[in-house]
Amino acid sequence: MHFIRVFQAGTLNAFADFAATYTVRTWTFAWLGRIIAQVVFFTLIGTLLGSPEQQRFLLVGAAVMAIVGEVLFACASSTWERRAGTLPLLVASPGSLLAVFAGRSIQWVPSSLATSSVCLLCVGPLFGVTWSVPSALLLVVVLFVTAATTYCFALVPGAAVLNAMDLRNIVANVIGALITAFCGAVVPVSFWPSWIGWAVNALPVTHGLRAVRELASGGFDVLPHLGYAVLTAAIWLVVAGWLLRRLAERGRRDGTIEFGD
Amino acid sequence: MIKQVAPAVEVTALRRVFAGGKGLRKRGPEHVALDGVDLVVDAGEVHGLLGPNGAGKTTLCKILSTVLLPSGGMAKVLGHDVVTHTAQVRTSMGIVFGGERGLYGRLTARQNLKFWGALHGLHGKQLRTRVDALLDRVGLRDRADDRVEAFSRGMKQRVHLARGMVGDPALLLLDEPTTGMDPVAAKDFRALVGELRAERRTVLITTHDMVEAEQVCDRVSLIDSGRILATESPNALSEWITRFERVDALVPPELVSRLRTLPGVGSVSTSDDGRTRFETTEEGVAAQLVRSLVEAGVTTVTTSKPSLEEVYLHVFGGNGMAVRR
Amino acid sequence: MRTLLIGCWYQLLVLRRSPADLMALFVVPVNTTVFLAIMQHADRPDLAGHAVLAPGLMALWAISLVTCGELIDAERWGGTLEALVAVPARMLPLLTGRIVVVVTASLFAFVESYFVALVFFDVSISVPHLGVFVVSMLATGLAMACWAGVMASVFVLARSARIFQNALGFPFFVLGGVIVPVSYLPDWLRPLTNVVFLSWSSDLLRDALNPAPVQDFGFRLLVLLLLALAGGGLGAYLLSAVLRRVRSLGTLTYA
Repeated sequence: MHFIRVFQAGTLNAFADFAATYTVRTWTFAWLGRIIAQVVFFTLIGTLLGSPEQQRFLLVGAAVMAIVGEVLFACASSTWERRAGTLPLLVASPGSLLAVFAGRSIQWVPSSLATSSVCLLCVGPLFGVTWSVPSALLLVVVLFVTAATTYCFALVPGAAVLNAMDLRNIVANVIGALITAFCGAVVPVSFWPSWIGWAVNALPVTHGLRAVRELASGGFDVLPHLGYAVLTAAIWLVVAGWLLRRLAERGRRDGTIEFGD
Repeated sequence: MIKQVAPAVEVTALRRVFAGGKGLRKRGPEHVALDGVDLVVDAGEVHGLLGPNGAGKTTLCKILSTVLLPSGGMAKVLGHDVVTHTAQVRTSMGIVFGGERGLYGRLTARQNLKFWGALHGLHGKQLRTRVDALLDRVGLRDRADDRVEAFSRGMKQRVHLARGMVGDPALLLLDEPTTGMDPVAAKDFRALVGELRAERRTVLITTHDMVEAEQVCDRVSLIDSGRILATESPNALSEWITRFERVDALVPPELVSRLRTLPGVGSVSTSDDGRTRFETTEEGVAAQLVRSLVEAGVTTVTTSKPSLEEVYLHVFGGNGMAVRR
Repeated sequence: MRTLLIGCWYQLLVLRRSPADLMALFVVPVNTTVFLAIMQHADRPDLAGHAVLAPGLMALWAISLVTCGELIDAERWGGTLEALVAVPARMLPLLTGRIVVVVTASLFAFVESYFVALVFFDVSISVPHLGVFVVSMLATGLAMACWAGVMASVFVLARSARIFQNALGFPFFVLGGVIVPVSYLPDWLRPLTNVVFLSWSSDLLRDALNPAPVQDFGFRLLVLLLLALAGGGLGAYLLSAVLRRVRSLGTLTYA
């Protein structure tokens, strides 16, 4: 219970930051516009290949990758917390660091849910990715689970960069690009050597993407995929908690937890 | 029968050594931040930790607040060891920084307090009541729903204090709480610290301001080079402050040589612009100096209180001068 | 010329301190992997050139956008812009020197993607029209440097433009035809793509990798250079506007 309440308290900062970054106008034109351009960019490669099927495959993949790119902003927003100078106060408080940081970057989950939903439901039909009403409704649920579980994964690099804050954007971008390459977004996972296929199964987004593709192809059998996504997310959450505890313990030993200024 | 109460802070032979140099190859010489500190702060006491920059004040605060491990020795907060019993220490202690850091600028004062209250396990009505009471207490009720980034330095410091109190701590660590505050705000802040004493909370306050230490503390420990030099009453400080006063004036040379011989006048120095500084070593001598100067027709005379460094020089013989890193 | 070299030297020092400014270079190998995988999976080895050129063009654009766009602004935040304006050295060559270094460093992206193709995909990209390729690449670097100067000033003059900075990547990757030639876009976009220098660059560079003769090379290069010139002129004008504002207001704080 305590964990949930601290998590909720952490979201205060998440939404305050979000409100300070975007207005409705800048979110719609700058951010959503950028994501749509990104999805169209990949979709057009399908046009270049002369294959409507490739077009649809790339559109769905790119729309789900938009979630990955955005929740990986957790790397940046985690470092904002440390920059505020609150780390010593957090470490010296009885609350859980994981709960604080899990709440801290939550703003990217609803935002990425919105952008990916618009891409799939509004841009998708222009390129032949169509939805029935039930599949559209279920799609939003699937995208939410995908965003939330991918966010749990993103907390791991988010925790890792707290000790190397200059690398926050490099880490986020390289991880985002690797996921785009190997998790089935642009080519089927089977294109790659089998060990890569095994490795990407550890990522929630691989399963979330499978669920979206299932819906896009007219099926409804999404539950097993979502189950795997949740299961892997739980493991990543534990890893993130371990990393944060290790950050605190190491900081106590070597004196790297700043105090005051 | 006398009931034995554990001291609020009990520190024995505490040492902290930092590896030298930066980066991966820490090959520089080791830096001893704390060198065998012994300190007892009784429950309900307002205890000052007075020392120049780099004396080890913040290192001691870090260890007491469980964000730094000691290299040797022992430290207990309310009877709990800060290394092994962190959970108990963390629930019973509040920390207040000086400066701008440690607050969420984009949140309102109320939201800041709610956040930290939640971390201390408060929720629902209890949390709301506590937050409201604290906002009242630090005089921020009218600005409770404004963003902290728009606050003045003094107001931010009140949020800091309220934040440190949200867990209803028995011990409060105030680390240089009035740094950068204007004199009026600092005075208000000290009044708030006075209220804490009335509540029988224990306060450990670090400062390099002798006047501040004298005004708010029950006892003051002088620290330098990672060692406690002495623990004194505020009376001793106030005596030093009046004893080691300074008098500055534009004085003709012949008068300087006459005044130099007065008993109780310590060092006398004349700067390039012709101003002469007399440093006194006995109480009342400053007043006598001023009288003599005015009688001799010198009217632009300034007196000032000694700096901490000067007192260190006089009392401990030159141990406390350099700012070390 | 001396000022220009000082600008180069200064920017080299800045880059050495903060390699994160060249972040896009870290992503280039992965992006190359993404595009080559798509082409191989679709069994289109003929499009390998598209896949190898695109990450380089994207990196060039992204680095110019982020780094150059913030050149002036970072000086402003650091409080050094006023000092820079006050020194006798002229601002334009100084800034040009700095931008040249950033653009040159980002050209390294093409080398990266070439080797990723060779090592991981066993795809060797040959350049049948080497002269066309080199000239086009130089013209592209020049145009990028000119337009980076425009962005550097725009970000100072219009504070709100900064929030759109993040948004200026992918729309231009589409309009600049970095992987899909603009001829695949709807016709009504043509007036827009025609003034985006990147679309002329990417078409020329791709044609240089294609064994077929390059059509209308002179004309297309001329257009690219004219667009570079337009960017350079606009950039110089905007920079003088920035400096006028510094001098008349004494500072660059936003209204």
